[in-house]
Parts: sequence; C-alpha cells; structure tokens
Amino acid sequence: MDTSIPNEELYPIAVLIDELKHEDVTLRLNAIHRLSTIALALGPERTRTELIPFLEDSIDDEDEVLTVLAEELGKFVPYVGGETFAGVEELLVREKAVESLNTVCAEMSQEQAEEHFMPLIRRLTTAEWFTNKVSVTGLYAVVYEKVGEEKKAELRQLYGQLVYDDAPMVRRAAATHLTGLVPHIEREVVVTEIVPLFMFLAQDDQDSVRLLTVDILIAIAGVLGAERVREQLFGQLKKLFSDKSWRVRYMVADHFEALAVAVAAGDEAVLMEGFVPALVKLLKDSEAEVRTVIAKQIPGFCQLIDAETVIQEIMPGVEELVNDQSQHVRAALATKISGLAPILGKEETINYLLPMFLLMLKDEFPEVRLNIICKLEQVNQVIGIDLLSQSLLPAITQLAQDKQWRVRLAIIEYIPLLASQLGVEFFDTKLRDLCMEWLRDSVYSIREAASENLRNLTKVFGVEWAQATIIPKVMEAGENPNYLYRMTSIAAATTLAGEVTVDVIKNSIVPFLDGMVNDPIPNIRFTVARSYESVTLLAKEKAADDEERGAVATMIEEVVKPSLEKLKTDEDVDVRFYADKSLKAIG
Amino acid sequence: MSDLDRAIELLKDCKIVPEEQVRDICLRAQELLIEERNIEVVDTPVTICGDIHGQFHDLITLFEHGGQCPDTNYLFLGDFVDRGFYSLESFLLLLCLKVRYPDRITLIRGNHESRQITTVYGFYDECIRKYGSANVWRSCCDVFDYLALGALVGGSGGVFCVHGGLSPAVDKLDQIRLIDRKQEVPHEGAMCDLLWSDPDDIEGWGVSPRGAGYLFGGDKVKEFNHENDISLIARAHQLVMEGYKEMFDGEIVTVWSAPNYCYRCGNVAAILTIDDGLGRTYEIFEAAPQESKGMPAKKPAADYFL
Repeated sequence: MDTSIPNEELYPIAVLIDELKHEDVTLRLNAIHRLSTIALALGPERTRTELIPFLEDSIDDEDEVLTVLAEELGKFVPYVGGETFAGVEELLVREKAVESLNTVCAEMSQEQAEEHFMPLIRRLTTAEWFTNKVSVTGLYAVVYEKVGEEKKAELRQLYGQLVYDDAPMVRRAAATHLTGLVPHIEREVVVTEIVPLFMFLAQDDQDSVRLLTVDILIAIAGVLGAERVREQLFGQLKKLFSDKSWRVRYMVADHFEALAVAVAAGDEAVLMEGFVPALVKLLKDSEAEVRTVIAKQIPGFCQLIDAETVIQEIMPGVEELVNDQSQHVRAALATKISGLAPILGKEETINYLLPMFLLMLKDEFPEVRLNIICKLEQVNQVIGIDLLSQSLLPAITQLAQDKQWRVRLAIIEYIPLLASQLGVEFFDTKLRDLCMEWLRDSVYSIREAASENLRNLTKVFGVEWAQATIIPKVMEAGENPNYLYRMTSIAAATTLAGEVTVDVIKNSIVPFLDGMVNDPIPNIRFTVARSYESVTLLAKEKAADDEERGAVATMIEEVVKPSLEKLKTDEDVDVRFYADKSLKAIG
Repeated sequence: MSDLDRAIELLKDCKIVPEEQVRDICLRAQELLIEERNIEVVDTPVTICGDIHGQFHDLITLFEHGGQCPDTNYLFLGDFVDRGFYSLESFLLLLCLKVRYPDRITLIRGNHESRQITTVYGFYDECIRKYGSANVWRSCCDVFDYLALGALVGGSGGVFCVHGGLSPAVDKLDQIRLIDRKQEVPHEGAMCDLLWSDPDDIEGWGVSPRGAGYLFGGDKVKEFNHENDISLIARAHQLVMEGYKEMFDGEIVTVWSAPNYCYRCGNVAAILTIDDGLGRTYEIFEAAPQESKGMPAKKPAADYFL
C-alpha cells in the first residue's frame, strides 16, 4: 500500500479487501456492491494499478459473484473495462460484462474509442474461444457509432468474420445483434455488405440461426425501404415462408404483418402474389404453434389488402381455424377475429363473421368463448346492437348459466362491459334477471362477484336505476331461509352503498340492516355489525353539505349506535367482537 | 391487524410462517382444544367437510365455494395432512382459523393426525423440507393429540360427525365421552375404531382390510342412530368419486373434500351444509385449475437454499 495515505483512510479499504476474500458469498457480494465507492476513494491512478489487479485475481470466484462484479465495473467508467469477463463461460456474467462495456464505450470520445476500444473488439473477435466471440457481437452497435469511417469499415469486416464463424453459437449471436447494428449503417453499405451477410445467415443449416434473420430483414427494410428490399431479398423471404423448420415458420408467422409492411408496402402485386398465398399456407401449417401466432396476425394483415381478397382468399382458411383441433389456436383466433369486422363491413360481417362467432361462443374451451365476448364491442360498432343482441344473446345467457362455476364467474366480469355496450333498456329486459339470479347461486364466489357486479352496473346506469330496480331485489334476498343467501344480500347492500347517495343509504340500506339485527344466526348478526361500519363511514364520506351531514349524524345516533350497542351484548363472542370494533370505528 | 390475522393472510397465500410463530399458534390451539369435549357440540347451520390431505389450493377453492370463515361455519372431519404437497399450509391455516374464530370452525381428528402415520405419508418430510428440522412437525403432532374425536351437530335428532365410523366397543355416545383422548392414536380399541372404520354392505361387524378399525353394516348404523337419537352419521375417510355418498337409507354419509385426490384420481369433491332445520345441501366442486397450484418442481431445491 502507498504509505502516503493516512491510516484512517486505509482502514475501510482493508475491511473491503478482507470482505472480498471472505468465505461467505453474501459478504463478498456486498463488498463488490461497494466497489465504486472504494474506487472513488482510491482515485483513478490507484484503481488502475491496485484495485483492478486485485479484482482480476478474484475472477475465479463463483458465477453469482462475478455477475455482480461485472455489473459494478460498468459504473467505474473512466477507470477500467470488463474485458476479461466477456470470456467467462457463464452466460449471465458475459451479458453483464457486455452491458458494462457498452456503458464504458458510450462515455468515450471518438479518439478514445478508436485507441482503446477497437483493440478490445479485435482481440475478442479473433479470440480462440467461442465465448469471447459471442460476447463481442453485443459490443459492435455502440462502438460503431463512435468511430470514424476507416474504423467503421474495419468493424464491418470483423463482424463479417463472426457471421461466417464455424460455431453456430457465434453465428446465432451475430445474427441476433446484426438487427441492432443495421440501423447504424449507411444505406449504400447495407446493400453491398450487409445484404450478403443476411443471405448467408438465411441459408444457415441451423434453424436457430435462420429464424433470427426475420428480424434482420425487417431492420434492413427500415434502412433501405420496401422497394429495394423487394428487389433483393424477396426471393429469400419466400424460402423462409415455407422453411422446413417450424421454428422458422413460427418466427415468420409471428412477424407476418411487420414483414408485409416492410417488404410489400405500396406494391399490390407482391402482397397478392407473395403474401396472401403465404398466409393461407401458414393458416394450414402442420404445427399448432405456428397456427396460433398466425391467427393473431390476420386482422392486421387484412388491413393491407382489399375486402374482396380477404373474403375470397383468406376467409376459407379462417373458417378452418374456427374448428381447429388445438384449443390454443382457437383461443388466439378468438382474441383477434372481431378485428375483421371493420374491414369486412356490415353485410359481410353478418354473412361470414357472425356464424363464426356463434360457433366459437359454443366452443367447449371457455377461454375461446371469453375471448370472443370481451371483443364484442368492435362487432357492435359494425353491425349495430339489435343484430348483435339477437344473435349473440342466447349464447351469452347460456354461458352465464354454465355448470362450470369458473365460466360463470368470468362471464360476470364482462357483464358491466356488455351492459354499457347494450344500453339500459336492453339490459333491463334481457340481462337483469340473470344478474339477480347470481345472488342465489350455490357457489359463494359467484354470489360475491354478483354483488360487485351490481355495484359496477350502478356505476354504468346510475343511482336512480339502482334504487328502482336493484335495491328492492337485493332486500328481497334478505328474507331467504338459508343464512348464506341472507349474508349475500347484506354483502350486496353494503357494496352498493359505495355507489349510491346518502339518502339511499339512510332510507333504504340502513333500515334494511336494522331489520336483520335480531337474526337467529350469529353469522348474520356479526355480518350486520361489520356492515354498519362500512356503510356508516361511506355515508359520512359522501355527505356533501350541512344538511346531509346532519342527516348522517342523526342516523348514527338514532339507528346505528343503538343497534350496535345491542349487538355488543350478544351471546356470541364474534358478534360482540365485530360490534365493538364497528362502534370504535364509527366513533 | 393482529399477528394471528397476519399469519392467516400469509397462509392464505400459501406462504409458511416462521417456526416460532407456529409454536405459538400450536400452544394457543392446545389451550383451546383441551377445553373441548371428546364429542364437541356444534350449532347449526354448519358446513361439513371431509378429507383435505394437504391439497391447499383445493382447500382455498372449498372456501370459495362454501364462503369464507368466519362468515360460514365449518366442521372439518380430519385428515388435513399427508399425501398433498401443502399439508403444513393447509393444517396451519385451519388451525389459525380455529384459534381466531373458535366458535365458527370445528376440527376433529382423522387417522392421519398421528405421529406414526405422518412420518410415512409425507407430513413429516414436508416439515423437514420446509423448516430443516422436525420442530414444527412435533408441535403439530402435539396439537393432534388434543383434537376432538367427533362432533354432534344440532342436538337431538342431529348429525354425529366422526372421521372413520363406528366401533364394536361403542354403543352410546357417552362411551366415547369417557375416552381419554390426549394420546397418540392407539392400534386398537374404541378411539382407534372411530378414526379407522368403514361402512360396508354387510351385516354386523367385519374385518377391515386397512388393518385397523372394523367394517360395519347398515344394521349397526341404524341401531346406533336409534339408540343415540341421531338422524345421520357424517364421516369421511374414504375416497368417493362423486364427492359424497349416502348409504343405508340416508343414515350415514361419506363426504370427501379433496378433488382430484393425490392430483390424479379425477374425482370431484363435496361439502355438506346442514341448515337450522337439519336439512342437507351438498355442494360439489372440482380441483383448482392446474396453473394456480404452483406445483413444486420435481427436483426439490438444493438444501442450501432453504
């Protein structure tokens, strides 16, 4: 150690060094987290000459420690680079090291980058071991921005070496990072140098490499524009469309709309002759995974072509997907199919889509049915509510009475959405009784959701509607001989209190609760006690002017408190507990 | 929020509570259970549930169906632990609810609530895996010894609840009331039979294939019910594919509350609600969906992570 530094300054460093060597991994990790502080204390000079060599010694540590170390090193920008880490075998360590190096590089000037960083790139690119080469692919994009023309050419040439590497891991990494590099490269150079790289990768014998070229193609199109890409690369893309590996086809299908935009934008002929047949073929792909992703691309792609073609060419394939043997394909289709309605227009939607909807609403897999229902608004906008309700309502009511309670539960969640789409009149005649029935469902969770549903409906249709139609029904349920249903009615009334006026609370809900204070079942009595608390607090909160505040105060003094005092002397301990708790809360 | 309420929240998320707190909960439960009689008297209405066997997520589904505790009154017929992946969480949740709401939930003892059985069928190993020592298992086993042997719902003409069934050594409920129950389940005798026996289509008594307890016929059930002025024996102990099964003119019922038992049997589960007029309502439910279960990985995490 440098003797010129006073001892008290040395002390924390000595502790740190001790900790860095400690047997306990967590202690070492903590020490590493504090490295940047230490580096600051030591100053740049000593960091380079003392701390770094020490850290290099510790590179044999466990992967977990190295990960953190690599991450920390990025923070001491001016002092050091994490080169050695880029060659470590563990992927996580390498990723963090690359991240750190990129942070370092982003801080450098052109001169520094050329002088210090280029050699690093060269060394790693020409290293023997594949891990170095894999890591270095992630460094090019940042350094490319920094250096001058001459070095840029060298970088491209070096990158080419990586693309042509023997190890598939290296080619895979090169293909992955080429996507990020392409946007930084000049237009003309892309044509002469990058396109050949793409062609090479697209014909790789490893499907894991080929599938990465889809992203590269989109990136190249971003630089060159659709027309140039068409000329040069469309042939290759066609091959990817029908690649023998499903993983490649999956990537193509997953990016189908983006590819169509990137390659065919503005050229009707290419769309019709190149993409439409490709889509039709992918819709019939032998792998369910491919069909699942392509199903999601349908409406997006169909926006690019005219409705006539959609009906003639694509709809037959879509119709088959409706009956696909994989539930995941059908579920994926169900999320997107309603997007076709605006493209097809009213008449064709009725002719083609509606029958499909009806079929999918009867699907044995609930997710398919749900996905259809939650996207109904789009269809509604096209064909109008009357038609929609005539054809779809029976299916919805059927679902609402499904014997699987989880299906019923899911439908309930969509009722407020449906209600707002359908309007109050329609709701009252067709759906209201259903909503009330749920309050008497044999499954507790359904009853609970039904209360919440009534509250959400009140939000949609307003307090007056609730007071006229819902509240009387809820109170009726309070007379059910089964205590569990009586409990539901209290819960529903309490939930509704959140949405109604002070007046309704005072004149309807509280008297209703009051009527149940003498219920023979203790569970009901303590539910009432709990309910008093939330209802009263809500009323207090809602009271807007002096008159209302006065009304709430009288209600508390004349009704709520006497009832709670009575419950406080109940024979059941839980009733006494909750009555006491509510009294304290009301104050 | 009290420590107990916090523990209940934690357990409902299927998380384990610290060892110290488990000990505390177990001690409080013992204090409570020691006051209970061998045949605990339970008021109507109450919802009767059968075996749980550590299927925690299905227990949560059970509450979703029947209503949460304390809103709904529950009576569990034993066999909370073993076989499923979450015996500890299941038993502790029920135990915490018992300590928090003693009048709203009743737990009685099943044949798996025993030191000998839990060391073989999974609960012991689970405790070791989750805590690294047998302390928690030991505390839980101490609680087992205090659990009531049966319950009587609704007074005269009511429902006698027991895990297994009848014993040739017991003609009258009072004979059960005389048993000193605070012990490990013995290998024979009335206490053993109550936890191990099964009803069968035979006359009188038969030898049980389980190696403990007896098989008993419809005549014995009717005699017992008549003698003791009860209308129904509610018991668990046997897998029923349909969730519940009434036998002998509806004088005995088996209620099973572990859907898709051992995650592979494909059965549905049931709970039985006895209302204030002693009317019976059965509620059927299926297993919780696979994705919500968080099935533990086949390979347990290496020891040093625990």
